[in-house]
Amino acid sequence: MPESATTAPAAEVRGRSRSRRGSSLAQYAGFLPALVLFGVFFLLPLGLIVAYSFWETVDYNVVHHWTLGNYRYFFSVPTYVTRTWVTLWVAIVATAATIGAAFPFVYWLVRYVRRGALQRLLLVLVILPFWTSYLLRVYSWLNILGDQGAINRFLQWTHITHHPLTFFLYDRPAVILVLVYLYFPFAVLTLYASLERFDWDQFKAAMDLGATPRVAITRILLPQIRPGITTAVIFVFIPILGEYLAPQLVGGARAVMIGNLIVNFFSGAQYTRGAAAALLIAVLIVVLLVVFRRSLEVEDAYRA
Amino acid sequence: MREFEVVSPRARLMRILLGGWAVFIYVFLFAPIVLLVLFSFNANQYGTFPFTGWTGHWYGQVFSDYQIKDALMTTLRIAFEVTLIATVVGTAAAFPLVRAQLRFRSAIRIGMTLPIMIPGLLIGVSLLVLLTSVFHFTLSEQTAVIGQAVFCTPFVVLLVAARLQGFDPSLERAASDLGAGTYRRLRYVVLPLLMPAIFAGVLFAFTLSLDEFIITLFLIGAHNTLPIYIYTQVKFGITPEVNALASLLLAASLCLIALAFLLPLAIRRARRLVVRA
Repeated sequence: MPESATTAPAAEVRGRSRSRRGSSLAQYAGFLPALVLFGVFFLLPLGLIVAYSFWETVDYNVVHHWTLGNYRYFFSVPTYVTRTWVTLWVAIVATAATIGAAFPFVYWLVRYVRRGALQRLLLVLVILPFWTSYLLRVYSWLNILGDQGAINRFLQWTHITHHPLTFFLYDRPAVILVLVYLYFPFAVLTLYASLERFDWDQFKAAMDLGATPRVAITRILLPQIRPGITTAVIFVFIPILGEYLAPQLVGGARAVMIGNLIVNFFSGAQYTRGAAAALLIAVLIVVLLVVFRRSLEVEDAYRA
Repeated sequence: MREFEVVSPRARLMRILLGGWAVFIYVFLFAPIVLLVLFSFNANQYGTFPFTGWTGHWYGQVFSDYQIKDALMTTLRIAFEVTLIATVVGTAAAFPLVRAQLRFRSAIRIGMTLPIMIPGLLIGVSLLVLLTSVFHFTLSEQTAVIGQAVFCTPFVVLLVAARLQGFDPSLERAASDLGAGTYRRLRYVVLPLLMPAIFAGVLFAFTLSLDEFIITLFLIGAHNTLPIYIYTQVKFGITPEVNALASLLLAASLCLIALAFLLPLAIRRARRLVVRA
């Protein structure tokens, strides 16, 4: 990776005081530990998953025999195909809902809250739940939505119903609700980073020239923050593709996603089939990242 | 500043609607957490409504449970190791990422953040395959440490790289003009200036490790960390004891993160005072 870049374009070199940085190879030394960590324990295992997905399991042993059998098997079982579509459907709906909820909020935060300490504080408050345990954020909804959860208990306590209602839980709406909850901070962060930079004088100018707020938003604001929106969409969509816990705890049978299938494969020692399912997600992610690489604003997303 | 829109009643309505939406968002984000904490103090033994009275009983149970104590010690041991690895590896990698001549800088940057972006599930299962089928390791705390380090290091890279980016290169040049060698430049100029970011990285990595669930689930084997313990308990239904433990874990994470946000500010402020004096 970095070693291959020994000859950098002249523009890169210009303006950098290179002479004081020692020999050209020493400047990459800092990458070494990371190269070991990510190379051996991140890239290698992912590569291994690729290989596994094309190998065979015979009597619980992995045989290094190249085959497309795992994929053929996956797509020949109707349940798995359905689960793939459900995963995509849930991911799309949840992403749309997350962005749809986050955009008006960020718009409000940037436009109506005075820039400074208060705005920072309000932003940090939104991000705060993201830094608490992922498990607990899902679990806390179980407390509310479950058939023994707050809503049902409350309804029974006040004698509105006598039997616990189960439609709050164990279905796709519950999963989507929890997913929106989980990834809302992601969306807010990326949208905030791009809206914050927006020059509101342009907005004002458009309105002075007779544009309605709607026209000003669609013609002036949205085109300029499109990279931010793309980044938010990708950042919310990708983790949802591999979601395991939310469908597991609040989803029930109708909301089983690919993530749950993968776990089932691996806990059933069907490593090669699990690898094929995992690779489906991985390939989708890589495609998304490559297609949208130009508009991704990775640094922005993590700056705050 | 931007008072121009307040003049029309429609704009005022818009503003009120958006403000209302923002209030709703904060309620949505914090209601589950607040309820969780509330229920942990509820005397009701089912851990939910109705609220039958305040009690600290469940916390007493948490503190006297030896399984929880065991899981806590495991969690802390893992978190210390992960934090150490993530901080050292992440800080080291931030330097060439910002300063070396790199042809594919943005690609490498995205590559480094990949472990955050891709679902933890993929990291978990792929490492499981590597460590058990290829390296023939037995699953243990150490395998969990490896998995968590992969996930936590990118956060440190991003934090330290962001600080390095805003770093005035003339400071280093001045130091070397005054005769400081590579070591002394690093020790007396670069590292002190990076300290706030490194501190924040330490706290973030520690918190992330404390709370990490999905990768750990695959790699920890027969041991328990606190999140894994909670998960095994949740399968049997909600209990007030789990609510209490969850509240404690939440409180710990929030304190650490508050510290991560405030500490760099405090350090900078203290420095400024010193410089002025």
